Amino acid sequence: MDRNQISKWLKNPGKMANKYSFHVVYFCTGCGVIEIPPSITTRWDAERFGIIPVASPRQANLFLIAGYVSTKTLKAIIRTYEQMPEPKYTIAFGSCPINGGMYYDSYNTITSLDKYIPIDGYIAGCMPRPEAVFVGVTHLWKLIDMDKADGYKRYREDYKHYRANQEQLFGDMDWPPLFSKENIK
Amino acid sequence: MNELKKKFESIFNNITVNVVEDNRIVVNIKKDEVLTFLSYLKNLGYEHLSLVSCVDWINKSEFELIYILSSYMAKDEEYQEKEKTKIIVKTRIPRKEARFITVINVFENAEPYERELHEMFGIYFEGHPRLTPLLLERDYEIPPFRKDFDMQNYVDNTYGKIPSIKERKKEQNERT
Amino acid sequence: MRELKLFYGPQHLGMVGNFSITLKVEGDRIVKADANPGYLHRGFEKLMEQRTWMQNFPLVCRINVVEPDHMELIYSMAVEKLAGIEVPERGKYTRSIFCEMARVASHLFGAWAYANMLGFDTVANWAMYHRDLLLDMFEELTGARVYHVYLRPGGVRRDFPNGFTDKLVKTLHKIGGKVPDYNATFFENSLFKKRAEGIGVVTREEALRMGAVGHTLKATGMKYDIRKIEPYDAYDQVEFNIPTRKNGDAYSRLLAIRDDMIESVHMIFKLIDKMPKKGAVYTKTPNPFKWNIPKGEAYVRCESARGELGLYLVSNGKNKPYRAHFDTPSYNHGLTVLEKALEGESISDVGNIMMSLYVVAPEIDR
Repeated sequence: MDRNQISKWLKNPGKMANKYSFHVVYFCTGCGVIEIPPSITTRWDAERFGIIPVASPRQANLFLIAGYVSTKTLKAIIRTYEQMPEPKYTIAFGSCPINGGMYYDSYNTITSLDKYIPIDGYIAGCMPRPEAVFVGVTHLWKLIDMDKADGYKRYREDYKHYRANQEQLFGDMDWPPLFSKENIK
Repeated sequence: MNELKKKFESIFNNITVNVVEDNRIVVNIKKDEVLTFLSYLKNLGYEHLSLVSCVDWINKSEFELIYILSSYMAKDEEYQEKEKTKIIVKTRIPRKEARFITVINVFENAEPYERELHEMFGIYFEGHPRLTPLLLERDYEIPPFRKDFDMQNYVDNTYGKIPSIKERKKEQNERT
Repeated sequence: MRELKLFYGPQHLGMVGNFSITLKVEGDRIVKADANPGYLHRGFEKLMEQRTWMQNFPLVCRINVVEPDHMELIYSMAVEKLAGIEVPERGKYTRSIFCEMARVASHLFGAWAYANMLGFDTVANWAMYHRDLLLDMFEELTGARVYHVYLRPGGVRRDFPNGFTDKLVKTLHKIGGKVPDYNATFFENSLFKKRAEGIGVVTREEALRMGAVGHTLKATGMKYDIRKIEPYDAYDQVEFNIPTRKNGDAYSRLLAIRDDMIESVHMIFKLIDKMPKKGAVYTKTPNPFKWNIPKGEAYVRCESARGELGLYLVSNGKNKPYRAHFDTPSYNHGLTVLEKALEGESISDVGNIMMSLYVVAPEIDR
């Protein structure tokens, strides 16, 4: 722990603890996951940054969406995201979730992920190197400090719109809305 | 290779056999005889079905079904000429209301291939135990691997038409 | 006992890759398994029809993320066959060395996944570190860690840089020096043996019936390997063995993979020794924007790390492929063989069996 940060810790311990212990959902959504194992093992050692993969989305607060998102996976991603407790952060990894990447004309992959779930940050590249993951995560720290990593708040506020987009894509969705109507501001 | 060609031609009528350079035999056969021909090949020792594929010849409005067979090793340690041979069996079926008969009874591993062709090309395989979707989840009006399926158009009309959250908000503000 | 339907994956610790299986269980015995792929389907074969012959290279390698190089190899082999391009002698050796490196890297990734799943974290860390050393070599050669786009029709993109082979030999020696440690902690560890021996048996008859290839066959004693059956590139220039095992269970499959990896390392040494010292590594191809390939079809196959990999490619004389169909080894292993191998096994062994069959999900979905 950095000594200069003690005042920060005293001021807002919850936020600081959250920031330095990212528990990543263990979900291999796309080909970006190939760079996750090197990042979490000895060579690059993501635990320096407090990142550790956990088994269940119920215990996690960071969702690394690695690579292209096909429509079938998107359903799983939304369900996984909704299962995570707040505060939760999402990082989209690779070029494909930003605008479709090289699958821009594929009939089965969506073109931009932030229409369906909120994204706090993107790491561009195909593949982003492990260093890029760490740059992305440290940048997320700054965003959390500045209260700008507010994806989960946006999801709560604009849930109506997110749900509308999801329904427009999938038609009938076979699970109930996460937030009831009274909850939506 | 040429012996095989003679053998095929003597047993089956309505068959054209071409021997291509790199140990490849291309057999064109009428669609009624595919099943008997495949089981005949299996008895000859060509028991490895590598691939079941389909080509959409849209100008002739035909589907070409392709079965690629090769053989496993007869002896565990020795390599023989026979294993090099790849037999490509082709047959044509009409594109409209495409139907064909399943070959699962001959080659068990044809099952996922036929399932895939069913959803990608819309070919119905009679006698297939489960023609449920394999890879796709969405319904496409035209099966996506057909040549008349326009991908860019589809993407623009489905994923492109979904507004971003900002646009949704703006829309709502304008309404209220 | 009552039957229960259980969804295994895609978000599951025991699942490597984005894949799911619907299990029917009785107690913790699996009665029926129903593989449910398609989470990674991007429609490559359709996408390839929209892009020119050379533009397809960055696409093709993304089919299998664990070992993209064999995908490039099979595609360039098919294009060479269609267009009638020859590969120069040194280019052949370069390709073979490169593909063997990819095989070793892929097997190390497999070792990571297997060890990680069973809780052998030490081994998992070693394997990932050693793979990373190889990725550094890839990076030096091609500029990228994962997707290299190094092969091209008619050879490879560029020659080895100065001193590359020496470095490669040094790296491989470093990895090879760890093999006794791997054996002691993982492959011959009695804990691991208890988990893997007698699990997920695929007998010879079943394997032949269900179209199995690669180490699933090798684990039943058949030396089925395309590098020997139909040698491509420089594989007919060197001596190598095809390691086999007898029992056909998960343990013998993994040992077949390990021996294959060791054999590959030895093969790289032999290839480096035999490689011509000078010469071109690629044949010139026409301008990629105006490159029309004559009408025809090709079916080529090669031996990827997972087994026989085939590509059926049709050209109608235009600048784009008319149809491509990949026959990937995981397709049979992950759909037909896996469903059969899981029957009667325990739920806790699902990941174990799936990993020993060496299934990679993107290869199934394409």
